[in-house]
Amino acid sequence: MKYMLKVFSATLVSLILSFSIANASSGVFKLSHDLGFGKDTNLDAITKGRLFQVVIMTQNRLVRKNLDGVTSPELATEWSANADATEWTFKLRKGIYFHDGSAFDAPDVKYSLERVKDPDIGSPAKKSMSSVTDIEIVDAHTVKMKLNTSFADFPLLLTDYRLRMIPEGSGDTIGQTGIGTGPFMVDKFDPEGTTVLKANPEYWEGAPGVAEVHVIAIPDGEARVQALLTGQIDMNRYVPFSQKRIFDNNPKFNVSVVPTGNWRGMVMRTDTAPFDNPKVRKAVRLAVDRQELVDLVMGGAATVSCDTPVAPSDQYRLKMDCPQNVSKAKNLLREAGYPNGISMTIHVSTKEPTWPTIAEVMQQQLAKANIKADIKMTPSKSYWKETWMKKAVAMTRWNERPADSILHEAYHSGAKWNESFYKSSSFDKNLADARGQLDFNKRKAAYQNAQKTLWEETGTMIPYHVSKLVITSSRVKDLDDVEVFSIQWHKLKVD
Amino acid sequence: MELQVEKPKSNLFKIYEIISTMASRPSGLIGLTILLFHVVLAVTSPLYAPHDFKAIDPSLMLLPPSSEYWFGTDSLGRDVFTRTILGGRTALTVTFFGSIIALLWGGALGIFCGLVGGRIDDVVMRIIDAFLSIPWILAMLLIVSLLGTSTIVLIPALGFFYGKGIVRVARAATHDVIAKDFIVSARARGHGNLSIIWNEILPNVRDAIMVEGAMRWSWMLLGFSSLSFLGFGVSPPTPDWGLMISNARGLMSFAYWAVLAPIVGLSSLIIGINLTADAFAKALGIDRSTKAPV
Repeated sequence: MKYMLKVFSATLVSLILSFSIANASSGVFKLSHDLGFGKDTNLDAITKGRLFQVVIMTQNRLVRKNLDGVTSPELATEWSANADATEWTFKLRKGIYFHDGSAFDAPDVKYSLERVKDPDIGSPAKKSMSSVTDIEIVDAHTVKMKLNTSFADFPLLLTDYRLRMIPEGSGDTIGQTGIGTGPFMVDKFDPEGTTVLKANPEYWEGAPGVAEVHVIAIPDGEARVQALLTGQIDMNRYVPFSQKRIFDNNPKFNVSVVPTGNWRGMVMRTDTAPFDNPKVRKAVRLAVDRQELVDLVMGGAATVSCDTPVAPSDQYRLKMDCPQNVSKAKNLLREAGYPNGISMTIHVSTKEPTWPTIAEVMQQQLAKANIKADIKMTPSKSYWKETWMKKAVAMTRWNERPADSILHEAYHSGAKWNESFYKSSSFDKNLADARGQLDFNKRKAAYQNAQKTLWEETGTMIPYHVSKLVITSSRVKDLDDVEVFSIQWHKLKVD
Repeated sequence: MELQVEKPKSNLFKIYEIISTMASRPSGLIGLTILLFHVVLAVTSPLYAPHDFKAIDPSLMLLPPSSEYWFGTDSLGRDVFTRTILGGRTALTVTFFGSIIALLWGGALGIFCGLVGGRIDDVVMRIIDAFLSIPWILAMLLIVSLLGTSTIVLIPALGFFYGKGIVRVARAATHDVIAKDFIVSARARGHGNLSIIWNEILPNVRDAIMVEGAMRWSWMLLGFSSLSFLGFGVSPPTPDWGLMISNARGLMSFAYWAVLAPIVGLSSLIIGINLTADAFAKALGIDRSTKAPV
């Protein structure tokens, strides 16, 4: 009997132990970043040099999009608006702690969001918060945001991937510490080497499945593919579709195709001749065969876009066709005073592996409309700093944002990242009208009018929204098959 | 008894003699044949290229080799055979003229420093040493980033960077010559530096400099292709081996043909130039193996 008791106790102990081990964080998940901002790279989500691969794991937002793309609670548990949607009240989650042990409460929200508007910081996310005039602390776990206009979709703006909650007063150090309430904590920040994150065992959604995350700087796109092939990293979300066949049917990798609102494009500066003439810009856009680009560059895995940055799945997206029209492009050039066509230099880099190929295909398409395009390679390490928004024509890429955010951020006359230096009072007015419109159909019409204006005038040619090819090592388990900003990182596991 | 005076050989005859000597060795013959093949290909390929080198077509992406597309097609549906036979034209042209520039300035400066010696020689050689310590690829990337990748920029830039080594070879060869009696005699006759360089030194160091120049040509070719590989050489859609390798390297595991053809083109040309340069050196009686690497 005594022996049986011993056996039973030993079995029970091992069962408990194995259960605890199974639930403990274990293993290292490795991913890369492109060191796009060089030494300016930091962990302050609202700055230009934010290393988003890290901040999305260490810091939370108030509101997020769930796996179905619907606005859902994160650090805010519920919200409501007054009758004309000019005041929004958010109830905050209780019992949440930052990585430094301090409690998360209303003053942190006020501090985090007011920083975005700080002119000294000059945050590119400033436009997302431009309508907020005041953030009032109602009690420790309730904040009220007052807007300068009615804004029925305001919670959608708070899903912006940069609007992360940080401890009150931590602005001077957040760029190096990355402290937040997220599932991982920064152990070592080395933007040009390997940044190490450790699991936050107290994470409010449950302890993470992996013990460490290593975020490694690999500036070149091709080198990142090789790093994945050789096991240096476990995930690459920027593999060109032309290389999909390397990973297909390979048991060492999992391949998935995720439709996204991310887009690639070519920017023509509207303040620089000959692109200061809207007819020239439209001629260039008409001369491009977007479906051919989708087929050649993306192997068909993309959705044609008629220069709207709004995601294909977004309720406000303007649906239209824009087939290549070479004769109309030539006519527009003639009307603009360029009967013999124009010459341009497209600046590219390997920062985005598909840019050189997009440019090479467009070069042939544009030639049919007497538009001579030369392609100039620029260093990938300093692309965002030295080329983008500096050269007359340069390639661009953006991650998915809500319609209102992307339209404000990339095209509004006062936007910091208005990459084509586009200024249009009618476009700005449409955006303002949309925000103030409580009727959904009228709001939708205003957003779509703004997109129509872009089709006529914008300096940014957006041929398609990409479907993302996500390759992970087969040792990675439970990675959500969604866009990167909606992934529940704490659920991820590695063998 | 009548004195027999040998007639001086004509330059044409001398060239014929050198080429014959080069071709008499198997390695020289192979090198010359490969080089000649590439030069003929570069000059004549536009006449018989079977397809438009820049025509893209989604329906022809990554087709394997066939009777229609001998070397298959690339990721944009372009004929790899057409692009391969045209792919050496720019590289050969740029590096050939680049080598001549390297020979001219490197040779002239090396001879001058070797002859005048003293402080000028010291200062110039330290500057050359400083330049030699800078990785050429970084300096070239800086230049093409600032000035672009046109041949007008690439030829002098490559010529400059590959001429630095020639300065040292020319200077060393000049040092071997200037202690000889005929230089002392020339000075005694009142000849100036320029006259001594042209009439006395150059004929005696020319062979060494030319052999060095030939070797630099193959290095320059490799360097130019490296630039193209990085995207800083030839601009698309101009076919170029380095660029073709760069574009297709990610497809190697399933579309080997897109990368194999330019690799064979580039490596065979480099081997050809190297073998020719070696044979050239031997034909001129220069033993490269005894020279310290510069």
